[in-house]
Amino acid sequence: MVEQVEIVVASGKGGVGKSTLTSVLAVELAKRGVKLVAADADAEAPNLSITLGVREWDSVEPYYEGRIAYIREDLCTQCGICKEVCPLDAVEVVDEKHVINQWICEGCLTCSLACPEKAIRFIFRVEAGSIMVKRETGYGFPLVSSTIRPGRPNSGKLVTEVKNKAKTLLAGVGFILVDAAAGIGCQVISSLTGAKIAVLVAEPTPASLSDLKRIHLLTRHFMVAPALVVNKYDINPEGLEDILDYAGREDIPVLGMIPYDDTVPKAASTGKPLNIAYPESPAAKAMVEVAEKVAEEILVDWRKWYSRYRPKRPAPYIPRIK
Amino acid sequence: MTVIVSVTGGKGGTGKSFVATNLAYYLSKNLPDKRLVLADLDVEAPNDHILLGVKRLEAEEDVDIFFPKIDYSKCTSCGACVKACDTGAIIMAGGRPPFVFPRLCSGCWACYYVCPYKAISSGGRRTLAKSYATPVELDGARFTLVTGILREGEEHTPPAIIRVKRRALGLEPDILLVDTGAGTGSGITVAIHYSVLIIAVTEPTPMGAHDLDAILQVADGLETPAWVVINRSGIGPEEILGEVIARHKSVERVYRIPYSRTVIESYVRGDPILHYKPSDPGATALRRVAGDLLEVVKSMLRRG
Repeated sequence: MVEQVEIVVASGKGGVGKSTLTSVLAVELAKRGVKLVAADADAEAPNLSITLGVREWDSVEPYYEGRIAYIREDLCTQCGICKEVCPLDAVEVVDEKHVINQWICEGCLTCSLACPEKAIRFIFRVEAGSIMVKRETGYGFPLVSSTIRPGRPNSGKLVTEVKNKAKTLLAGVGFILVDAAAGIGCQVISSLTGAKIAVLVAEPTPASLSDLKRIHLLTRHFMVAPALVVNKYDINPEGLEDILDYAGREDIPVLGMIPYDDTVPKAASTGKPLNIAYPESPAAKAMVEVAEKVAEEILVDWRKWYSRYRPKRPAPYIPRIK
Repeated sequence: MTVIVSVTGGKGGTGKSFVATNLAYYLSKNLPDKRLVLADLDVEAPNDHILLGVKRLEAEEDVDIFFPKIDYSKCTSCGACVKACDTGAIIMAGGRPPFVFPRLCSGCWACYYVCPYKAISSGGRRTLAKSYATPVELDGARFTLVTGILREGEEHTPPAIIRVKRRALGLEPDILLVDTGAGTGSGITVAIHYSVLIIAVTEPTPMGAHDLDAILQVADGLETPAWVVINRSGIGPEEILGEVIARHKSVERVYRIPYSRTVIESYVRGDPILHYKPSDPGATALRRVAGDLLEVVKSMLRRG
């Protein structure tokens, strides 16, 4: 069996530094001889190419997914059944006529099946986005990214495509470093499915801790071994204590603590990852230390790490059906 | 009629909830005889209650979607439901009767309508999330915070969001302030649908600019005016944001909130900065947004 190990950088809360950390990790791991592909798993707000400074792609493939419903005005009797049954309230009445808002419709067939006049038709094979590949980022590894048209559903499916593309590019044994989206929804679930290790990023704020607990529960659900990086650790000492307490209680190893540093938001504007743009900055140094730890403690024998830190209390998904 | 205003932004962590909670406080304080609801529709990572210092969420309800329960005495294994299911949640393996995978089901009812034998009951439900309606009182401001919390492991965010939004609208507020999650997908468009104004919170980084561009495409597409709030102004160059803003016809106004440590303090304490330190430069800048919004909302309410 070809062994490809997925490592996901996730956080629950947005804007805590996932993409910045992922780009530093990727560059530093590649520098240390680790064979990897970086994958941006946030199709709705893909930012990893920006923090890596990738501006042009070697390939851009269109991504087709889903349908969009529309109402044929000549057949519609304005009975309003479609408006009643639409699960997302996508049917609007404009100038006394029923129309389907294309920014809301997910293309389920419900309205067309409920319509007594068979007045609802579909646009098939919607060009919902694209998958982009950069074979060589300039730092010794490829990058796969994607973008989904705003308002389209199921970005998680696109994330799965991105991960599959990354696996093909890796062509054999190696690591896939996945930069997950904010939240705990379909994109994040696609990111964690099949992954072995999750680097969870949190800030020492009550909001970030609340979201950390939710993403941590998801790692237990998908049997992914979590590790923690605290970003901007020095902005709130009490919050830091709370986060470290949680990590201690839950047996989540702490890989590092990154200080607040104003070079971080500036780095992206230089078109280079933080550790290349500002190698002497405190945040860059701390992130490089995290990368060293990942290389020396996790990747050197990831199975050993996994068996030590994999969830001891799995939290399987149990549907609540009434 | 409820006036709906949505706070969104595309990128995560730009300060959406910070702006939304402060706007809710300010509007409510200045419109004491109007009913205001703040709906936290970031069901994946809801934080408004934390930013408002709410200790306990109240009036818990299940957020349920339709779930197909098949009456196998009526089912003929014709396969129509399998074909109609958009999410691949129904399978028929080896000629056996259909089986539904709960997590994949989005509760859209297509199988119910397509089944020629009426073998699917209309009564089945699955709980996707919890919702809450918590009264908030803060120094003269009184409003209801409606919060949606997705169950960990569920992936169908839009159906949960729409139901939490319906609960908020069901309270018949004069003003509904919506706070969305990060992203630009259908979970966001569903949340901001029917808004009279979109407030897009961003930051002066290339990432902020990229994601602002995507959310403003939505504003353009929904033909909804947008105000851009550049949060943490000063941490990076803003030209690139200017280029993005110039490309979108929906943008009416642009505001800047300077980076301030006091904002983090207020955030951590769970006390909106407009209440905690109204004299802080961050608060002063935010009050300009809030004041302008107050005028717009007032004139909308007058028009009815």
